[in-house]
Amino acid sequence: MPRKVTEEKQAEAQQLLEAPPATHLPAVAPDSLPKAPALTPEVNKQTPAVGQRVTRPDIRTHITGTTRYIDDLSFPGMLHVKILRSAHAHARILSINVDALHKMPGVVATLTGEEVPVNSFGSTYQDQPVLAVDRVRHRGDGIVAVAAETEQQALEALDAVKVDYEPLPAVFDPLEAMDPDAPKIHRIDNVYASKVIMRGDVDRGFEESDQIFERRYTTPMIEHVPLEPFAAIALWEPDGQLHVYSTNGRITLGRADLARTLSLPMNRIRLTATIIGGNFGGKNEIRTEPIVALLAKKSGRPVKAVYTRQEEFIASTTRHPLVMDYKTGIANDGRLLARSVKLVLDGGAYASWSETTVGKAAILAAGPYRIPNVRVEGRAVYTNKTVTGAMRGFGAPQVAFAYESQMDEIAYSLGIDPLEIRLLNGFEEGSISPTGQVLQAVALKETLLMAAKRSRWREGDL
Amino acid sequence: MVRSFEYVVPGSLDEALETMKEHAPHLKPLAGGTDLLVELKNNLNGPQVVMDLSGLPELRGVEETSAGLRIGAMVTHTEIEKDPLIAEHVPAMMAAAATIGGVQTRNMGTIGGNLVTAVPSLDSGPVLLALDAQVTVAAAGGKRQLPLTEFFVGPRQTALAPDELLVDILIPTVMLGRRASFRKFGLRKGQALALVNAAASVAVEGGRIAEARIALGAVSPTVIRAMSAERVVTGKQINDADALREAAEVAVTEAQPIDDFRASAAYRRELIAVGTFRVLEEALAQTTAA
Amino acid sequence: MHQVEATVNGATRRAEVSPETTLLSTLRDSWGLTGSKLGCDVGDCGACTVLVDGLSVNSCLLLAVQVNGREVVTIEGLGGFEYLHRLQTAFERLSSFQCGFCAPGMIISAKALLDENPAPTEPEIREALAGNLCRCTGYTKVIDAITEICRDRAVAVEAPA
Repeated sequence: MPRKVTEEKQAEAQQLLEAPPATHLPAVAPDSLPKAPALTPEVNKQTPAVGQRVTRPDIRTHITGTTRYIDDLSFPGMLHVKILRSAHAHARILSINVDALHKMPGVVATLTGEEVPVNSFGSTYQDQPVLAVDRVRHRGDGIVAVAAETEQQALEALDAVKVDYEPLPAVFDPLEAMDPDAPKIHRIDNVYASKVIMRGDVDRGFEESDQIFERRYTTPMIEHVPLEPFAAIALWEPDGQLHVYSTNGRITLGRADLARTLSLPMNRIRLTATIIGGNFGGKNEIRTEPIVALLAKKSGRPVKAVYTRQEEFIASTTRHPLVMDYKTGIANDGRLLARSVKLVLDGGAYASWSETTVGKAAILAAGPYRIPNVRVEGRAVYTNKTVTGAMRGFGAPQVAFAYESQMDEIAYSLGIDPLEIRLLNGFEEGSISPTGQVLQAVALKETLLMAAKRSRWREGDL
Repeated sequence: MVRSFEYVVPGSLDEALETMKEHAPHLKPLAGGTDLLVELKNNLNGPQVVMDLSGLPELRGVEETSAGLRIGAMVTHTEIEKDPLIAEHVPAMMAAAATIGGVQTRNMGTIGGNLVTAVPSLDSGPVLLALDAQVTVAAAGGKRQLPLTEFFVGPRQTALAPDELLVDILIPTVMLGRRASFRKFGLRKGQALALVNAAASVAVEGGRIAEARIALGAVSPTVIRAMSAERVVTGKQINDADALREAAEVAVTEAQPIDDFRASAAYRRELIAVGTFRVLEEALAQTTAA
Repeated sequence: MHQVEATVNGATRRAEVSPETTLLSTLRDSWGLTGSKLGCDVGDCGACTVLVDGLSVNSCLLLAVQVNGREVVTIEGLGGFEYLHRLQTAFERLSSFQCGFCAPGMIISAKALLDENPAPTEPEIREALAGNLCRCTGYTKVIDAITEICRDRAVAVEAPA
């Protein structure tokens, strides 16, 4: 079929030809461009914000493909890194042989965990090795890193690494991991973080209740899947300063962690956060920064490491899967009298942000409801799975799924409108949360009523 | 990241077949690349030689021949969606092609490439089975033709010998214009793998179903024909909804759906029944509309 | 090594590549066109979408040697900082992207759609973008931007000359 060529299309083609070639873009935005609005509001003047259409200051580079994400940066002589990852979920490493690796084409430098000055990191507990030395605790553990002239050579060089393992029993279910007889994943107990919150007398609350509802809720592991994989570039300045470019979203913490692993004072390290192609909480810790820094030192050249998509899934963090046992006592009129919650967080192989997550999940586990008697017990547990860490909400979405599911079940069982049971029990101005916080500016009921109205929840609603 | 290999572009089918004879089984033909490149990236022991089929005119084009409609193995899904001969004779193929991947995948991926993957969920399989499609495969020693039912041997396994190449697909003349329909059930609409695929073709004579073909995908080790279900509806009145319902139930017994992370076997059985009923209903509706 | 010569954004480009080099690597590493992104590396996310002979394809699933003698258009071929393609203007007006990583591929897919179908319906727009994932989940404003262009065009066509 012949293609219909319209005048408009011809004009567009002409415009395309007349457009300046992309390689000759001006380095600095010309004056003809609209300037980003001033960020400082005028004193005593209400700045219109809500409901206004704004143009993002970074949108033009996004739509022209000129935003420089980390993988768009390169430096003269830059080497590329690939990392050999564990072949087992849980194993003792008997030996690592990298002799043949040095003979592979393009290989310039290699790194094992023994060469890392302080081979551990972690945002709460420093229980995670930069590269595993004597033991692997999940399939995402890196063992050997290689820097080569090209990414292809680095990838193919990994075939030359020989690692001998002695497989160990692995545990994948957090409830099984809590068993005293379960394989121990670290030297300490598999339960490594906990949070208990108590308000009132939950046992008496249940005794005084007319009805009791009990149920277990579970949520799965979720990967952030940023479109841009995790990456880092390291180069050493002639004066001994280390400059690292990274997709890390928490550069101050990242810089401190990096300084610790390298045994360098923080002021010798400059960490530049590049423009990020999606984070969602998954880029809040260091990953390959110490590796590229050390390989750059060994080779004397800039070094870049970009995660493959598979590494993004197995060697980054994910959202904690939760097992949530809920028990709620109610009066026949629908008032909540007591709620006990037991949370088990599957922490994966290393602690990461689990302590923060178990805390936030426990604090929010009873829901935004006036309950006089509450007891919440949260535990984070090691398993031989991908590490779980920060992800949007830190445990809040998981417990919200559980307590709102239970509220619905109670409402249906009592024959009460699910909206009514929430209005009956919801936080009000001055309500006290399970942690004893007196709440101010509470708009829960107004919000519920407006949502009900706008979604035409009830007959006659507009 | 793809492992290294040697790349060859033969200029004729004969040259391609000689190359295959020389390098099999260490050679992989490259059609659209939407599966092969992924495989090359994941596979540590990839092929030594990759043979690009883009220079072979014998594998291209859609044409009417005395035997039926011949579709070259290198015809892309997008080309199938837009081909006037396919629109005229086998529009159900367009419906199936339109459900494959995203636009980019359909622009690159080919019908031949889709068939040789022989994955149970391949989207172009059921309609072709419901239309009694034949395939031509060639080796340096000569060509042979076999029914598509014999082409699929198991999950990701075909009847192709290591040095054989899929050349084209033939829809027999008797099947051209046969009323057919296709349904795909996925977890979402765009770019989804099928949980269940279903296709049907029907021939109607004097208000009765003279011949029916029902094919199902993603429910067994290969794409299958539900022949017992076909027998249930054969000879029935075209408005006999009970017969369709019975066929749907029988079709469920002919499949061996599995539990996996996409869906449970129980849910797949439900979809087989719904899918079988709907494709029969839709194919029959076309006979009365025409 | 293989020689590749292709017309890229209207200009002839040459590169010497090993067979396994993808078009995406060649665009980014040999020709400095880093607008196309590596996201999933298996043809699911569409961040690497470019046009080859006018059709949208995933450049991570195409070998560089396969585009020898063909015509490639990348995001850099649509418009630059001072000159925007009308699609880019619409995406800018609505600030359709958040992190922006999907933007180049999304815009190329939108261009491929409008080249073929100047007045798509919303379901057609959604279908055309099915192969482009946005993890920030900003699809609404992407679809709004394309819809807006089509509406503007419809108005322009109806207006008396």
